[in-house]
Amino acid sequence: MNRPLALAAVLALLAALALPLGLDPQGYAIRVVTLVFLFGAMAQSWNVVGGLANQMSLGHAAFFGLGAYTSTLLLVHFGLSPWLGMLAGGVLGGAAAALISLPTMRLSGHYFALATLAFGEVMRVVANSWSGLTGGPVGLSVPFAPDSLWLFNFKATLPHYYIALAALCLVTAVFVAIKRSALGYRLRAVRENGDAAEVVGVNTARTKLIAAVVSGALMAMLGTLFAQLNFFFDPDTVFGAAPVSIRVALIAIVGGVGTAIGPILGALVIIPLEEAANLFLSSQVAGLSGFAYGLILIAVILVQPHGLASLGRRWGRGRRGAP
Amino acid sequence: MTGDPILSLRGVSKRFGGLQALGDVTFDVRRGEILGLIGPNGAGKTTLFSALVGLHRIDAGSILLDGREIARAAPHRVAALGLTKTFQNVALFADASVLDNVLIGGLLRRDVAGARAFAGECLARVGLAGIAEKKAGDLSFPERARVEVARALATEPKVLLLDEVMAALNHAETAEIVALLRQLRGEGLTLIIVEHHMKTVMALCDRIVALSFGRLLATGSPAEIARHPDVVAAYLGREYVG
Ligand SMILES: Nc1ncnc2c1ncn2[C@@H]1O[C@H](COP(=O)(O)OP(=O)(O)O)[C@@H](O)[C@H]1O
Ligand SMILES: [Mg+2]
Repeated sequence: MNRPLALAAVLALLAALALPLGLDPQGYAIRVVTLVFLFGAMAQSWNVVGGLANQMSLGHAAFFGLGAYTSTLLLVHFGLSPWLGMLAGGVLGGAAAALISLPTMRLSGHYFALATLAFGEVMRVVANSWSGLTGGPVGLSVPFAPDSLWLFNFKATLPHYYIALAALCLVTAVFVAIKRSALGYRLRAVRENGDAAEVVGVNTARTKLIAAVVSGALMAMLGTLFAQLNFFFDPDTVFGAAPVSIRVALIAIVGGVGTAIGPILGALVIIPLEEAANLFLSSQVAGLSGFAYGLILIAVILVQPHGLASLGRRWGRGRRGAP
Repeated sequence: MTGDPILSLRGVSKRFGGLQALGDVTFDVRRGEILGLIGPNGAGKTTLFSALVGLHRIDAGSILLDGREIARAAPHRVAALGLTKTFQNVALFADASVLDNVLIGGLLRRDVAGARAFAGECLARVGLAGIAEKKAGDLSFPERARVEVARALATEPKVLLLDEVMAALNHAETAEIVALLRQLRGEGLTLIIVEHHMKTVMALCDRIVALSFGRLLATGSPAEIARHPDVVAAYLGREYVG
């Protein structure tokens, strides 16, 4: 990382650490920023598959929901700390990702997107139908036990704010480490030309599998964060295509696929935009908020087809190119 | 200089639908030689290269690399065993830099730092050290072909298959590559080359294998091939023999 970029990252982190000092710890604003961090982290874990391997997954809700249900069910039935449940969810999420990656990895573009979308929907239907285990459409409540760090249970949003911030930093660190490692180079090669990559020694199947497992495991662990933050969820919220799968893909795409900053920028724009659209428009005309939100997204994608991250790159190139 | 067979093809066959692209191809490649593979367009040269490295699953036959069956191995396994190729239509990682393209090959036997250093050496060998940071997609065709060679060299192969890497090179560039290939042979590398420029092939190769419609037409020294009536009829015509 070059020096101005490192400095900007440190300053942004300091600002994020200090921000709650100016916010009501129980208020709406801090909750929105917490969701920005959480969805930024989710989009970042999607970015490992969607950005580095360039496989447009529309099924990441499968792992997210799996994580949320795993840790919550372990907590409800066995009193297990969600921190441990999160690890269990991560293992299951990674295993599920391996399971879906093996048959789908040879699919290209649209077919991969459709297959993963279907996988997410299957998980949602199963969670809705298997009431004995999941509680079905009624949903699951996290037992209220504030305030306990061990039980990851806090009345105020403030602890969740810092946990989500830490998660965003960790997932971003994992993304950057992968991107710079041999795996990152191999993923890039596989993405650009699978045959050529194989012929010069890249095990394309294993490369895609590792990316899928890491991405699925991280996404599942973030499901636990969501469950503990919300205290309640149902299959449609955590396994849903629109609220999770498509949303995280969109965040990464709007921000800039394959870049570390992309999912963060995307979440910073999209989450507040959604909140604003809901707040100001949903009371006027039903469906208007979704309409306005869609319009703004289309505008962003038309103006900045490589995501908001390319704005900075263009600016940087312009400066360096100047005489 | 040349010796025991390092690569043995026995009855290698491959069909594409109704087309017999390779039919019962049998020959040996000797350790440390430069073998020329010739034949008219559509003879099956590129298909044979793809079959050897494992990109095409052959329908029948056997391919032995140093006595080991590789006919059903995945390409990355074949590369690890020491056999790789360049792509005739050039298959670089277009968005990556020239150096990163070559680095990918180096990762087969090295870590990232080691592969990066080695990639620099490989680029220097093909005369492209000066454009290491350029985007591969922005290069001219002859430059891309040489990046292909560097990327293949970075895997440290025992046998290297070069598919028309000298097409579109000018005289000076061709001479450079010819000198490099001789040097590589001197270091013990075994090479199979496909080139259309017959004078270059005849001057550079120790032996030549001629294909026509996927079948083996003849094998022999350049002089023998140049005189071979079937080869003359099928391919060389008056252009060379005259
Ligand atoms: N993937 C493929 N599918 C179908 N036919 C192919 C394929 N690759 C090559 N062919 C056909 O096989 C024959 C041999 O092609 P090729 O190996 O490229 O010849 P050469 O390299 O000697 O010019 C040609 O008739 C070509 O059209
Ligand atoms: Mg060819």
